[in-house]
Amino acid sequence: MTTRLFKAVLATTGLTAVCSVGTAVAHHAFAAEFDRDTPVQLTGSVTEMKWSNPHAWIYIDVEDENGTVVNWAFETRAANSIIRLGWRPKDLPVGTILKVDGFQARNGSSTASLAAATFSDGRALFASP
Amino acid sequence: MKIVALLRFLILASIAAGSASAQTLPRTVDDRPNLQGIWRAVTRASYDLEAHVARHDMPAGQGVVDGGEIPYQSWAAEQQRSNFENRATADPLSNCFLPGVPRIMSMEFPFHIFQADDHVAITFEWQQIYRLIYIDDQPPLYGGIESWMGNSRGRWEGDSLIVEITDQNDGTWLDAAGNFHGNAMRVTERYSLRDTNTIDYEATIEDSDVFTRPWTMRLVLQRQTQMDRILEYQCQALVEEANGAFERDVRTWHPAALPADNEPFDADAGADLSLPTASSDVQRLADGTPDISGYFMADAGGANYGLEAHEGGIMLPPSRGQVIDPADGSLPYQEWARTERIDRALPHRGYDDPTAHCFLAGVPRSHYVPAPFYILQPPGYVVVLHERMSWRQIPLDGRDHLPDSLRLWQGDSIGRWQGDTLVVESQNFNGKAWLNEAGDVASHAQTVVETFTPVSPTQLMYRATVTDPIAYTRPWTIEMPFNRQDDELLEVACLEDNGDLQHLKDVRDEYRANQNQRN
Repeated sequence: MTTRLFKAVLATTGLTAVCSVGTAVAHHAFAAEFDRDTPVQLTGSVTEMKWSNPHAWIYIDVEDENGTVVNWAFETRAANSIIRLGWRPKDLPVGTILKVDGFQARNGSSTASLAAATFSDGRALFASP
Repeated sequence: MKIVALLRFLILASIAAGSASAQTLPRTVDDRPNLQGIWRAVTRASYDLEAHVARHDMPAGQGVVDGGEIPYQSWAAEQQRSNFENRATADPLSNCFLPGVPRIMSMEFPFHIFQADDHVAITFEWQQIYRLIYIDDQPPLYGGIESWMGNSRGRWEGDSLIVEITDQNDGTWLDAAGNFHGNAMRVTERYSLRDTNTIDYEATIEDSDVFTRPWTMRLVLQRQTQMDRILEYQCQALVEEANGAFERDVRTWHPAALPADNEPFDADAGADLSLPTASSDVQRLADGTPDISGYFMADAGGANYGLEAHEGGIMLPPSRGQVIDPADGSLPYQEWARTERIDRALPHRGYDDPTAHCFLAGVPRSHYVPAPFYILQPPGYVVVLHERMSWRQIPLDGRDHLPDSLRLWQGDSIGRWQGDTLVVESQNFNGKAWLNEAGDVASHAQTVVETFTPVSPTQLMYRATVTDPIAYTRPWTIEMPFNRQDDELLEVACLEDNGDLQHLKDVRDEYRANQNQRN
C-alpha cells in the first residue's frame, strides 16, 4: 500500500498553543534535549509507535520541501500513562495520518518532542477519556 | 500377616513423619508456609540450564531440566546454537537488561521474598528489580500488555505457592547459553518449602512456537542466614562508571569531604514541625497498625522539576514548591551548591541526571518521579515497589544501620511507628542521585527522616526532612500527599528503551567541544 505523504511545514515562530502531551510526565530535562526555539509542525503517516517507558516514540513519514521522505521520531509521554488513559496499540495503526506539533532535538536530527497531535478528524491523540 | 502388619506400620510411620515435617515448617498467621526471607539459588543454571562441562566463561553444571534437554523445535535449536556462539554480546544481560522469569530466579544474586496477605513480593539485589505477585483470583488488570518480567498471578495449592507468568516479551533469554523463548511463553512456578531453609522451586515452560512440548526445570533455593538485608547491584551504573560514560561528582559522591569554605551547618535551625493529624477512620491491620498498603501516586506538584516554586514554560513544567521549612519555600543552599544547581539546569548538564541513564532516583526522589508505587506491609517490614523499577525495604525491628562504609543509591532505611505515623530514617547514601531533573543537590552526607501519615482512608501525607551539611546550611523539609488509587503497577523498562540519552550526550559533547575550542 502506498502511503500518502504530506509536505512538512517548519514553523518559524514559537507555538502559541500550550499543550502538555509531551511534557506532563517527563523524566529528564526536555529543555536539555529539545530546543524551544525550533518548533516543528508536520503532517505525516505513522510508521511505528514504540510503547516504551519512560517515554514512548511515534515514528512518522513526512515529505520535505524537496520531495524527500524523512522518518521523524516524536517523543511523547510514558507508555504506561498512555495505557492508563485507555489507549492501546490498535488505536494507532500504521498508516494513521497525524498532524503533530513539537520541538526539534538540539542535535539537529529528525527527532522532536511531541507537544500536540491530532487525527485527520480533529480528535486529539492520547486525550483523556 | 506379619508382612502386612509391618507394611501397615511403615506406611503409618511415614505418614506420621510427613505430617510432623509439615507441622514444623515455619508458617504465617493464616497458616501458609512462610517463605519470607532472603534466598538464593544454589546452582549453575544461570550459565546453562542444561548439563555442561566448564567453558572459558562459565563453570560446569549438571543441568536442571527434567529429562536433560530442552525440547526445541528444529529451527529453534538452530537459533539457540547461534545465540550460544554470539552470547558475549547477544545475551540481553550483557546490556544489563531485565532478565525475565524464570532466569531471574536462577541468578547468583540474592533476593528477598516478602509475604503479605494478598501479595507476595520478591525484591532482587540485581538492578533493584522486583516482582509483585498478586494473589487475588483476578486476571491481570493489564493482561495482554507485554513486558520483560510479565504479569505474575499467584495462588496456594496446599502448601505450595503456584505462580503463573504471562505476557513476557521475547527479549529475554533463559540463561547465558542462549536458551530462549518466544512471546507466547507461559511459565508456571511452584514454590514448595522443604524445610525452614530450603525451597524446592520448579518452573514449567510452555511455548508452542519454540518448543515441541512443555518442559520443567528445578532449582533449590537456600535461605541466606548470613545476611539481614540485600544490597544493590546497579549493573548499568557500574558499567558506565567504569567506562567513563557516567562521571564522578567529587563534591557529592562518597567520600567527599565537607568543603572548607562552607558556611557552618546549623543543625538546630529546622522548624519543630508537629506531625500531620492521622485520620480517625484509618484502616488497620490485624495488629492495630495503620494499613497504608496499596497503589499510590504522589500529588507531587512538579517536585521532579524543582523543589522550589517556579512558573512553567515551554518544555519546563511548573512546580508549586514543596518546601515547608524554611517557611519562605527556598532551599537553604550552601553557595557552591546553589551555583551547581543553576548550572545543572543548563541543557548540557541534562546528560548528568542519573535518571536520564535509568539509574536509581534515590530518596526522597523515588516517591515523586512521575510514576506510581505500591506499598506492602509484610510482617516486620514496610516495602515500597516503585514502578520505575526500584524498591525500598524498610525493616521495623529496630536494627542498626549498615556500617558507614556501605553506601547505596537508595540509602539504608529503618522504620518505626510513632502513633499512626510511619517514621523512616535513612542514611548510608552514595551521593550519586539528584533530587530532581532540575538538579537540586544531594550529597552522600544526607540523612533523611520521612513521615507517612494516613490523613484519610485514601491519602497519606508525606514529609521528608533532609539534613545534608555538605550541600545545605540547615535542615529542610518537603511535604506532599500520596493518593491511594485502585490500579496495578505496570513495568518501566527504562534502560531497555532509553531513546534519549544519546541526544543528551550529543548536547553535552557539543558544549564541551565548543569550550575546548575557546580555550
